[in-house]
Amino acid sequence: MSVTGIATGREEGKGRTWQRAAGYLPVYASIAPFYILFAVFGLFPIFFSLYISFHSWDGIGPMRFVGLEQFEYLVTDNNFWISIVNTLVIWIMSTIPMLFLALVIAFLLNSQIRYRGAYRVAYFIPNVTSIVAIAIIFGSIFGNHFGLLNSVLHAIGLHQVQWLNNPWGIKVAIASMVVWRWTGYNAIIYLAGLQSIPGVLYEAARVDGASTPQIFFRITIPLLRPVILFTVITSTIGGMQLFTEPQILVGNSGGPGQAGLTMVLYLYQQAFTKNLFGYGAAIGWGLFVIIVLFSAINWRVVQRAGVR
Amino acid sequence: MSRSLTRREFLKAASAGIVGSALLGSTACSSPASPQRASANQRVTLNLWYWNRSIDDKILAQVDQQFPNVHLVPQKIGGDFKAKLLVSLAGHAYVPDITGINADISTYFPDKDQFYNLYDFGAHKVQREYLKWKWDEGVTPGGYMIGYPMDTGPTALFYRYDLLEKAGLPSDPDEVARAMPTWEAYFEAGRKFQAAMPHVHWLDDITTVFTQIMAQSPKQYMDKEGRFIGDGEHVKRAWDLSVRAHQMDLSGNVAGFTTDWNAAMDNGSIATFVGAVWMKLILEQAAPDTKGKWHVCRAPGGAGNNGGSFLAVTKYSKHPKEAFEVIRWVQSPPHQLQAYVEIDLYPSAPSVYSSPKMNHPEAFYGGQNTNLVFSTSARNVRPGYFGPGYDIINPIYGQYLTNVETQGANPEAAWHATLDEIKRQLSHQGMYKK
Repeated sequence: MSVTGIATGREEGKGRTWQRAAGYLPVYASIAPFYILFAVFGLFPIFFSLYISFHSWDGIGPMRFVGLEQFEYLVTDNNFWISIVNTLVIWIMSTIPMLFLALVIAFLLNSQIRYRGAYRVAYFIPNVTSIVAIAIIFGSIFGNHFGLLNSVLHAIGLHQVQWLNNPWGIKVAIASMVVWRWTGYNAIIYLAGLQSIPGVLYEAARVDGASTPQIFFRITIPLLRPVILFTVITSTIGGMQLFTEPQILVGNSGGPGQAGLTMVLYLYQQAFTKNLFGYGAAIGWGLFVIIVLFSAINWRVVQRAGVR
Repeated sequence: MSRSLTRREFLKAASAGIVGSALLGSTACSSPASPQRASANQRVTLNLWYWNRSIDDKILAQVDQQFPNVHLVPQKIGGDFKAKLLVSLAGHAYVPDITGINADISTYFPDKDQFYNLYDFGAHKVQREYLKWKWDEGVTPGGYMIGYPMDTGPTALFYRYDLLEKAGLPSDPDEVARAMPTWEAYFEAGRKFQAAMPHVHWLDDITTVFTQIMAQSPKQYMDKEGRFIGDGEHVKRAWDLSVRAHQMDLSGNVAGFTTDWNAAMDNGSIATFVGAVWMKLILEQAAPDTKGKWHVCRAPGGAGNNGGSFLAVTKYSKHPKEAFEVIRWVQSPPHQLQAYVEIDLYPSAPSVYSSPKMNHPEAFYGGQNTNLVFSTSARNVRPGYFGPGYDIINPIYGQYLTNVETQGANPEAAWHATLDEIKRQLSHQGMYKK
């Protein structure tokens, strides 16, 4: 508790402090629910996961202290490194087209078209659709033999692709699911950013004879930079935590060649299908280190953008 | 858009929530304490955790009538059942008195002290009513009985008799079984079939082949002393046969439980597969257009079992005796028969296999009485021991076998990589022993 301006006399000061604290009680009480819930469901699990990462535990029996063994195993675990590479590849494959598309859509939505509200809702709906349902639909689109996409490829005379038996096919399927789900969300955020750009700038550009692409690249993009950085950061966080899409699409194993095994899926597989909770916790802390690294990179990028 | 909540409404809603959760807490079972004797006029509350379609709800609804001293609270636990059970056991809170346990019961053996030994309540008296191999699956090597038998999953060969007929192969169930007694003969028939029907694949995928050969094997990956035997001849044979199916191009390469599998079955691009009795329902729903064109017969290689579940009494129950009596009643042979009729759970009590309720012509299977095949399979399963490492070991074979089938991995190299990976993962758990 922070108490400002402690008075001279000790006794007196103490009394005043308590009095003040008592005065603030309703305020503390009203913010307490968040801190209590956070302590129970956030803080405690974080430290407890650190504690069990030094143990070997099947979830029921006694915990056995193993020191740093789980972490030693982690850095030599090929599957863990595969999951890192998969996560990064899928993140790049999804984030770049997603943000680009979102920007274009936001730009179009910002122009004077009819039914703007309807379009906005339509683009946002994928974001609030059940992810399990989406994964099942995408499973039938990318089906190896009888998928919708293969029917299309066949109809236009191209070779069929066994999407979900192919390491790249699996990544494309997962990335496209992310793109489908989050493009509208990012477009809405960009739209908010676009609307904060004063119209006079556009008018001035038009008067000077600038074309639409010129306006887009010379005015819109530079002024939207902070919003773009925000979406890059949220996409990074989301990308590192990718789980449900690959799990429903290719299962807990990560699919053929473990091509869909993301970091969080690997954590889930070890902790909840093989019941290796100590190791699952160690993977969680590995994940933490990687996210810290990425945050540091992001922060550097943001700092530099601020200087400019 | 929406009207904001007034303070009064908010308080009302919040207090309702608190009261609600308090009620929930009091009905759920509690931590271990001194056992309480139930007096005649006082009902003891028993909490039961089960998952959807694992027990017939109608039978559970009758428990309170049948047992005047018991109040059963059945709780259907959705989502990840095992994770939730482990959480309650680890937290020593809200642990159910009775819980369902899946086919992975052997993974609970190292923690058998979390459950009552059902032999202590006279389980041996009803032992003979159930299939021996099924009963044994719920008992640890040391003779501690955790799980009471529920349903089973005897396996058989499912095949499209119309396609086999067209290809000039035998199509009557008895004849097919006689023509393909072994996996080798089954593959050979597949070769002939595909020569005549080049657009249809003989079987669904090679992981199914591996799983089903292992489902017929009395030896699995660990022996009762906890030694790893997954590099033994019995596993290598299953591996080699799976690889051979791939090399003979018999596999349609459609994995089970995918929309692709459903489509392949419905449009007739797969002729046969070996599966457990519960695949009947999956097939009927996946391939409605092929109704009447399927038969089942004894699987190549003989009887096998896939899946099935158990009921256990946790150590946190204050009324284990009553809990056991309820289990015994709920899983009595006539009730297992009722569960089969109502929700398709295949009984583990063989006395009901001859009931007329189980034996009738089935339209989807061309008027065949499939129970004759599955009951024979169920009676002839050879008892196997799965061991506590099963969930760690088993997926690894499938993972590398899939690499052979879809990524063109070298089969011998993949076999050695599988064993290395198993050894690595088991050693990490301190479970590797030769």
